Amino acid sequence: MPGILIVEDENDLREMLKVSLTRRKFTVLEAENGKDAIIHFKPAVTDLVITDLIMPEEDGLKVIMRLRELKPSIKIIAISGGGKAGPASYLNLAKALGADAVYSKPFSVNEMIMKIEELLVIEQDM
Amino acid sequence: MSGNDDYTRYLAREKYFSDQIVNNSRSMISIINRNYVYEKVNTAFCDAQKGMEGSIIGKSLGDVWGHETFNARIKPNIDRCFEGATVRYEASFTIPQAGKRFFEVIFRPFPAESGEITHLLAETFDITDLKLTEKFASDKEEEFRRFETNLPIGFLRCKPDGMIIHANRAFLMIMDCIEESSIQNADLRDYYSEKGLLDFHLEQLKDHKPKTFGRVPLKTCKNNDIVCRISAFMTADEAGNPSYIDFSFEDSSRELMLENRLLQAQKLETIGALAGGIAHDFNNILATISGYSELLQNDLPRTSPSADNVAKIMAAVSKARSLTNQMLTFSRQVEQEKVSVNVYDVLKETIGFVRSAVPSYIKIKSSFRVRNVPVFADPTQLFRVFLNLMTNAIQSMEERPGTISASLALVKGKNVQKELNKDIVADEYVLVTVKDMGKGMDPSLLRRIFEPFFTTREVGKGSGLGLSVVHGIVTEMGGEIMVSSKINEGSVFYIYLPVSREYEPLSVITGKNKRILFITGNKHESRILSLALESAGYEITLSSDMDHLNKIVTDTKKRPDLIIYMIEAEQIRTDDLIGILSKQDIRIPCIIIADSNQTAEEEKLVNSGIVNQHLIKPVSLREIINAIQVSMS
Repeated sequence: MPGILIVEDENDLREMLKVSLTRRKFTVLEAENGKDAIIHFKPAVTDLVITDLIMPEEDGLKVIMRLRELKPSIKIIAISGGGKAGPASYLNLAKALGADAVYSKPFSVNEMIMKIEELLVIEQDM
Repeated sequence: MSGNDDYTRYLAREKYFSDQIVNNSRSMISIINRNYVYEKVNTAFCDAQKGMEGSIIGKSLGDVWGHETFNARIKPNIDRCFEGATVRYEASFTIPQAGKRFFEVIFRPFPAESGEITHLLAETFDITDLKLTEKFASDKEEEFRRFETNLPIGFLRCKPDGMIIHANRAFLMIMDCIEESSIQNADLRDYYSEKGLLDFHLEQLKDHKPKTFGRVPLKTCKNNDIVCRISAFMTADEAGNPSYIDFSFEDSSRELMLENRLLQAQKLETIGALAGGIAHDFNNILATISGYSELLQNDLPRTSPSADNVAKIMAAVSKARSLTNQMLTFSRQVEQEKVSVNVYDVLKETIGFVRSAVPSYIKIKSSFRVRNVPVFADPTQLFRVFLNLMTNAIQSMEERPGTISASLALVKGKNVQKELNKDIVADEYVLVTVKDMGKGMDPSLLRRIFEPFFTTREVGKGSGLGLSVVHGIVTEMGGEIMVSSKINEGSVFYIYLPVSREYEPLSVITGKNKRILFITGNKHESRILSLALESAGYEITLSSDMDHLNKIVTDTKKRPDLIIYMIEAEQIRTDDLIGILSKQDIRIPCIIIADSNQTAEEEKLVNSGIVNQHLIKPVSLREIINAIQVSMS
């Protein structure tokens, strides 16, 4: 099954996503912050990353840029609880940096899983 | 004979003495006969006229002073003297080489032995020096009076007991008094807001040194509160007893107002950062709650009574999300999708929206001095701002009948700068004013109304976020909001927004030629949303009846690319919509917009499977554009 890396500093939320995705038979990898995600990134087994944007250590925008460099084909979903960096919101910056989908918290997990399936199926077809 | 000689000598001696006295006098002395001719003059006279005694004697006054001057100014006085009166007057004459001099002139009748007035004695003193000194003093006094009158600082003179003697114009203006007489002899204590403060000040002045008392709260003649910076000095007479006290009053109300506003802005900024942080953390928690709720919902059969309970948890999450969203809006952490929008359109629609719901004893009056006022804003947010102010205005009126007035006017940027004392971002601003005749607010309340969770309503009624959100939206637009209020008279809200007449491109890519069908109940609210979407490049059709809807979705040429359905639409029921969109051949993406209170209708729609995106009011333009893009992809 495709591997999904969850980068989220909120333990409860990360756990919730892990439970939801494991149920759908995805292989789940976890990172507590951006720095860990980048250091321990396993390109061979990671097909998609769900990353929070505002985190201690390296933030989500850095994660998106770095992981895209390490594995250009990786799919990225950004999630955020709101907040702006300058005039633009983090979510829009994430979109501009190439996130395939963005969700503001709280979001619908069902909707997100539908999106993940859509993103990964397209990948398989190609 | 020797006796005669003695007498002659005696007379000569007497004459010598008299001549000495007369000729050494600094006054000009002369004897004038009835023909207005000088018969005798003294040395001082000759000196002044630069002439010999002989050359003046026998000359008429007309010859000496000029016939015109004589006839006009001298002769009438001389004639009165010949009638028996002693005449005394002041006059100025031009003396050869001495120029213009001032004189005091006295004419005394000089009767002959018979008693008939054949001559008069003229005495003329040069009083030029005295005159100049007097004039200098009066000029100085006049100058000081003018200075004191025009001084922009209030000046007040009091008796040592605090009774007012005199006040200048600035003082009268600061204190809102009509004229000086209205405060003369009044007690200065009556204008002090704090009892006993003036006596404390008077006590301090007793050492006769100038004192500054800082900002002192005062009451004006019209009983309004103001704050003045006061300095004073007590003057003593020669014996060392206090004679009067001079005060200066500088109105520092505006200074204080600006300081307070700065302080308030800083406070709101701090609370904003705090609220933003809390909202962010709460969104994380809400995401966990809603995620697990969804997992639970997936596991439960639709018919399970627990499914209902889970739906209620998710509805509560929606509500909480709306709250955190408002907190983020207040703290300006929400990016707004801005389009060029006419404030006039939005305000007009808001008034229409409010009018349909307002009790009949409240009138809504509007005055629009301008009708084309483009600003760069999210129209839905602007609608929220106006709606919030109008709703507050209605609520503040409580049960009393009255008028709410809304107005629109253009203001020059530099005037805004002067008024608000802040940097401006546009040459032109639009000023939106919303005025009510409600119960008003006292200053302590007024200071806090833009703080989040600050509410005057009972606990549970209203979140207290309304005005803080308004503040966030207006500030984010580069505008400013201000309020003034009087207890039992009402409040006025002023919103300044920068006018933007230049086209500014949207930050998101929007679908050109995409047709959206809007199904709506309240035309005013949806008109704003459609206005916004039109500015974003969509083609909008409004629909409010079944026939039209049926026609448009079955016509393959006119068929919309997307449907937006507002739950409160009365003409087209949810069942009808589900009926139409469930048909095999009609697959149109659908977005529903619901109130924050979940209804059975909403649940039905969501469960029917026709809904792509589900938004909860209040929706921002960005949210709806995002939803449209997701639905169409």
